[in-house]
Amino acid sequence: MGGARWSGLEKQDMRLPDLKRGGGILLVLTPYALLLAQHPAGGKPVHFASDVKPVLRAHCASCHSGASAAGGLDVQTVNSLQKGGDSGPSVIVGKPDKSLLLQRILGLGGLPRMPKGQSPLSDADVDTLRQWIAAGAKDDATEVRHWAYVAPVKPKVPTRVSSWVRNPIDAFALDRMTKAGLRPSPEASPETLIRRLSLDLTGLPPTLGEVDAFTSDRKPNAYEHLVDRLLASPHFGERLALPWLDAARYADSNGFQQDGDNYQYVWRDWVVRAFNHNMPFDQFTVEQLAGDLLPNPTPDQILATAFNRCHMLNGEGGAIPEEQRNVVLFDRVDVTATTFLGLTMACARCHDHKYDPLTQRDYYSMLAYFNRVPESGVPSGAGQYRIAAPAMPFPAEPDRSRWLALQQRVSELSSQSAKESKADSAPQALAAWIRDQRAALGEVPSMSEWEASGPYPTDTFDHAFDAKFAPETDGAKAHWNPHPEWADGVAHDLSGENAATYLRRTLHATQAAHVTLSLGSDDGVKAWVNGQLLASHKVTRGVAPDQEVIEAPLRPGDNQLLVKIVNGGGATGFYFRLAPNGLAARIVDLLRKDPTKAELQELDAFRLANGPGRKSLKQAQQELADFSAKLPQVMVMSDAMPRKTHIYFRGNYEVPLDEVNASTPAALSPPRPTYPANRLGLARWIVSPENPLTARVQVNHFWQMLWGRGLVKTSENFGVQCEPPVQQALLDWLAVDFREHGWNVKRLLKMMVMSSTYRQSSRVPPALRERDPENQYLARGARFRVSSLFIRDLALATSGLLNPEMGGKPVYPYQPKGIWDGLSITKERDFTYPQSTGADLYRRSLYTFWRRTVGPANMFDAATRQACTVRPSMTSTPLHALTTLNDPTWVEAGRVLAQHLLRSGLGSDRQRAALAFRTICQRPPSDREAKILVRSLNRARDSFRANPKAASEFLAVGESPRDGKLDSVEHAALANLCLSIFNLDEALTRE
Amino acid sequence: MNPFFERDLRLSRRQFFGKAANGIGVMALGGLLATDGFGRMFQKKGGLPPLPGLPHFPPKAKRVIMLWQGGAPSQVDLFDYKPGLEKHRLEELPQSLRQGTRLSTMTATQGRYPVLPAIRPFKQYGESGMWLSEMLPFIGSIADDICLVRSMNTESVNHAPGVTYFLTGSPIPGRPSMGAWATYGLGSMTEELPSFVVMTSSDVGKTCGQLFYDYYWGSGFIPSKYQGVRFRSEGEPILYLDNPPGISHDLRRGVLNDIAELDHQRLDEYGDPEIETRITQYELAFKMQTSVPELLDISHEPSAVLEMYGPDVHRLGSYARNCLLARRLAERGVRFVQLMHAGWDQHMNLSTQLAFQCRDTDQPSAALVKDLKQRGMLDDTIVVWMGEFGRTVFVQGDVNNPSGHGRDHFGAAYSMWIAGGGFKGGTVYGETDDFCYKIVKDPVQVHDMQATILHQLGIDHQKLTYRYQGRDFRLTDVAGNVVPALFA
Repeated sequence: MGGARWSGLEKQDMRLPDLKRGGGILLVLTPYALLLAQHPAGGKPVHFASDVKPVLRAHCASCHSGASAAGGLDVQTVNSLQKGGDSGPSVIVGKPDKSLLLQRILGLGGLPRMPKGQSPLSDADVDTLRQWIAAGAKDDATEVRHWAYVAPVKPKVPTRVSSWVRNPIDAFALDRMTKAGLRPSPEASPETLIRRLSLDLTGLPPTLGEVDAFTSDRKPNAYEHLVDRLLASPHFGERLALPWLDAARYADSNGFQQDGDNYQYVWRDWVVRAFNHNMPFDQFTVEQLAGDLLPNPTPDQILATAFNRCHMLNGEGGAIPEEQRNVVLFDRVDVTATTFLGLTMACARCHDHKYDPLTQRDYYSMLAYFNRVPESGVPSGAGQYRIAAPAMPFPAEPDRSRWLALQQRVSELSSQSAKESKADSAPQALAAWIRDQRAALGEVPSMSEWEASGPYPTDTFDHAFDAKFAPETDGAKAHWNPHPEWADGVAHDLSGENAATYLRRTLHATQAAHVTLSLGSDDGVKAWVNGQLLASHKVTRGVAPDQEVIEAPLRPGDNQLLVKIVNGGGATGFYFRLAPNGLAARIVDLLRKDPTKAELQELDAFRLANGPGRKSLKQAQQELADFSAKLPQVMVMSDAMPRKTHIYFRGNYEVPLDEVNASTPAALSPPRPTYPANRLGLARWIVSPENPLTARVQVNHFWQMLWGRGLVKTSENFGVQCEPPVQQALLDWLAVDFREHGWNVKRLLKMMVMSSTYRQSSRVPPALRERDPENQYLARGARFRVSSLFIRDLALATSGLLNPEMGGKPVYPYQPKGIWDGLSITKERDFTYPQSTGADLYRRSLYTFWRRTVGPANMFDAATRQACTVRPSMTSTPLHALTTLNDPTWVEAGRVLAQHLLRSGLGSDRQRAALAFRTICQRPPSDREAKILVRSLNRARDSFRANPKAASEFLAVGESPRDGKLDSVEHAALANLCLSIFNLDEALTRE
Repeated sequence: MNPFFERDLRLSRRQFFGKAANGIGVMALGGLLATDGFGRMFQKKGGLPPLPGLPHFPPKAKRVIMLWQGGAPSQVDLFDYKPGLEKHRLEELPQSLRQGTRLSTMTATQGRYPVLPAIRPFKQYGESGMWLSEMLPFIGSIADDICLVRSMNTESVNHAPGVTYFLTGSPIPGRPSMGAWATYGLGSMTEELPSFVVMTSSDVGKTCGQLFYDYYWGSGFIPSKYQGVRFRSEGEPILYLDNPPGISHDLRRGVLNDIAELDHQRLDEYGDPEIETRITQYELAFKMQTSVPELLDISHEPSAVLEMYGPDVHRLGSYARNCLLARRLAERGVRFVQLMHAGWDQHMNLSTQLAFQCRDTDQPSAALVKDLKQRGMLDDTIVVWMGEFGRTVFVQGDVNNPSGHGRDHFGAAYSMWIAGGGFKGGTVYGETDDFCYKIVKDPVQVHDMQATILHQLGIDHQKLTYRYQGRDFRLTDVAGNVVPALFA
């Protein structure tokens, strides 16, 4: 194992310098050329998977692979190589020179050299192939496991003595770069460091006061103090949340036609809080994947599961719910596997994974964990908000505190009333209660099959709800279809929009009894027993169990149950279950089985809560319920509707094959037997020490955040296809250390930013750039463009416009006129962009309303929030330049900053220009830079002086008020200078 | 500073900026770098370079103009000529045919499926004698230039998945679109305009609830510089194209020079090639501010050309105007132009709206083909006219109310046409049964058509891949066969 791992690394070394380039570079690279000569490819065993396959894949597989492989030769497996193609076997074991593979690659035997039209393989690559064939051309796939599928073992920290080494990160980095013949770069300047740290840890630049305090702080622990302050900042959570929201494809609307809004922003705030409270990452994982399945989950724990409900929802008129539900399930598997495990499972949806040991069975076994949600697959409701059940009422700030207080009161009253009835809370009392209840359970009326009539379409939902159709007036005149397939306790789909569907069945009781009917409906519902209207609820919602719980008196003999389901738009369906004795379905379940200890407590809680003398409790509960009714409905997870899961032929849900049970991929170590076989078990397995991926993948995410690039570059994929990391020892050490220290995120980040490795200057000497363009050896600091969301924050913060308020409903800052107009074609709602006013215009970008069909136009290069994204895109296009040059956000920020400068008391152009530069870039300009700035200021002043009207127009951009006493030409010229500085590469970049 | 680095840094300064510092402006720098030993670190020009090895073989066409007919035009009424349907008018569609065909939920449970023949007669056009609806006289006039495919089929029966499927290869959003793939593979032919441009239009009455989402021209997981740039008909044609109020062209020019000079100093000091890229992009942005208004200004178009596109060409944002602009974009080196027109979703207004749709799109679509032909550009321009699927031969809605007749979505068999770029004009390919319901000859699946279009651009659809999440993705997913029978 170790051999294979390291031989992969040496290959990286081999590939790096391209020595065939211009003379000047060759000169500086001479030491590395010498280094190369000391590391011939030989001397270590060559493995197929780690050495040979990458060569073949890079040079041959684009033509010679798959069903239509050129010449019938597939180079992807040892078997297919030995079998060869049309020209016969390509490998003769033990005889490299007689093997067609080598002959063709070397261009021997009079045939053209392979790969055709491409540059020849390097000597090192040819040697690798030669050695492998000479050594027996063995397939080691079963012997050598891919490094990322083996749980990391904490490697020994290299002991290289150097004053540069501050912590183990530096020890690993120095060791690796020294072996590669490199040396660390000097430390960055204090101004650069505080800007870097502030942007990395809070997404905001430091204020000038903060810069001055830091640069003049001579205490040895000044840097650490700064780090601690930033880690404690509430903006830390906002900064950390951004990549997490990208991964969770968080958005404020569903996508697709109608693009209804949702309330998932309540979950966004949960993420911010979790990071700010430094929630251990294992808990962070478990709560988001399975908070609802924890024992006695808190509302926050259920809220956390909204992670898996941030998927798109297709509410098109003709959408087939079951198809859409499966799209959602696929999405959930992909998001969970990519975000937590760095695994690409999507390939296995249609067939076994080509490279990774993931089978189609694995895929659907993972899917089975998520296939228990009482959901239809399509959203319901009309107007602005359209959501899909299950959802829970949950307040955003500032309602949250009142809501928590109400809950607290209910909880207190519950325990108080429990105390009051201590007398009858003895174990015997519970046992007696259970006996009585069980006896009563026996009297279950027998029920006929369902029959259905309809749908009866109308023009509106109201009409459909109110109109009395034949089944309601005279059942005999209606046409009824039998539905023997409709089982109880499961939701069934119906059809029709603005339509009513009637359902009926007969309940036969041997004696008079009271039963409880549990109904769910999408959308509205009415129910009658023996002609008596017992329920009528005009509502738009998705179907879920226990939405209506009805007490129904039964007479001896036959009783007629009639249910009317009324749908507005989108999906429709119903749920039914008989719950005798007025008990919730859940309680009946518990009574019917041998309850565990926890379940006994649940029964007891139910018994006590439903006993007499609980008046104030009931009142408080009612108050809470009323308050909750008006709250945002956050889509969350639930396991209330278990379903069978099948493998789908080629991913087609209409062609189910074998049934599978929920389980984790077979090739990875299995979950412990103590883990439950549900999402909670999955979550526990993901954060278990046996899991080889999770800690590595997460450490890599954090590294990527600070270095712009993960130690594993493909942060979304740790599978066999990912490049073996140069810094695997460091990655493994960090992963194990992270886990061993309680998945402590702030501790991990602190260790990273305290390192000398992090503090290096990001200047790139040409030799180093040539030698290590991607900074894999960490011999310099990282330099990369800031996320466009933070670029906007930076403009707001440095101009003083930023409103630091946290959380709550999304806001609507400046967007181009008519940004959503394309959506208004539907006429179904008003899609005029509801631009915010006042302070809401200046909130952090994180809080901008994210419409999934049309993302915010000025937040370029951002994740689309349509599918999981864990690696940020950092491109540079003319459109980005146009945005930061012309968008009112930056123009206004320039104006407001200029106003501060004019009022600062600084008189000279040079002083003002220098302060503008320092405010935005956090360092004083050099003399040469200052001269250019002053020249630029003069240029603008001349232009505006010649055309004062232009100055006024320019100053009129943006809603924030302007000090009218200021000279408009001066103000405009300075504002234009500030706008230019916002557009400097340095300003857009974290150095 | 480490003296080792100091030396290299000076070397770099001399090589890169000795000249720039002496006053040669930004513009010269691109050329300088291209010939420099370091040039390969950077893009040679501001445009997007082609991938090495592309095109895979000599291309027939350089560019694509996609005329997307959103909402799904009725092939029953326009393209798939079935004179025999008349004798089955309002008869129930045979149950044996219907079985196993995917329908949307709007009619899947309808209960009755009465056959409705084409609402207007067909006639023969051109020397090829192609049968098309008399509602399409202009397209009829280019019958000998178009290749009509009557055997398209798709798995999707709802709009967004259907559009996403054809334009990105998957019904689920998130993959790169065809224009992004083409630009990624072949690079750009212009520096002054985006290489992939999208324009949208809608029927005047907005009867059709079809929306155009930006993932229809997105770049998915390939870098966002390959995504389509939407030109808008109201406000700025490209978002943020115009200088802020009060900032003159000259002032901006000066400001950009200042920014570039400061950026050069940073580059000098830091040596990060990204700085160089940024300088180039700012320069391109400035060029675009001139080239885009010039592109959109049609005042110098001869009146004969304007007349050819029809009176709507004078209305900003109309399909006709967009067709004319598509030609102007093609002339200026834009690789992929995607027009998206909404309005073809006739669920219950076939008798009135279909004619309006034809009126809005027939003349401009044909004019574009003629215009390209006149300029000798049709040979290397592929023009595609299609929607996301077709429509049912049976009536949706109340049979007894002819004014409310409509047709539902139908993916199992539909029609499209394609012209130029080496496609065979005057040809009809593929055939459906007597009820336009099942393909009986030469089916063409979505991935097949994608592969065929890419082929004419000189792209082997199996080789144009992008590695993401450990997998080599391609436009055609894991399927697709080129249909050589469509080639001239």
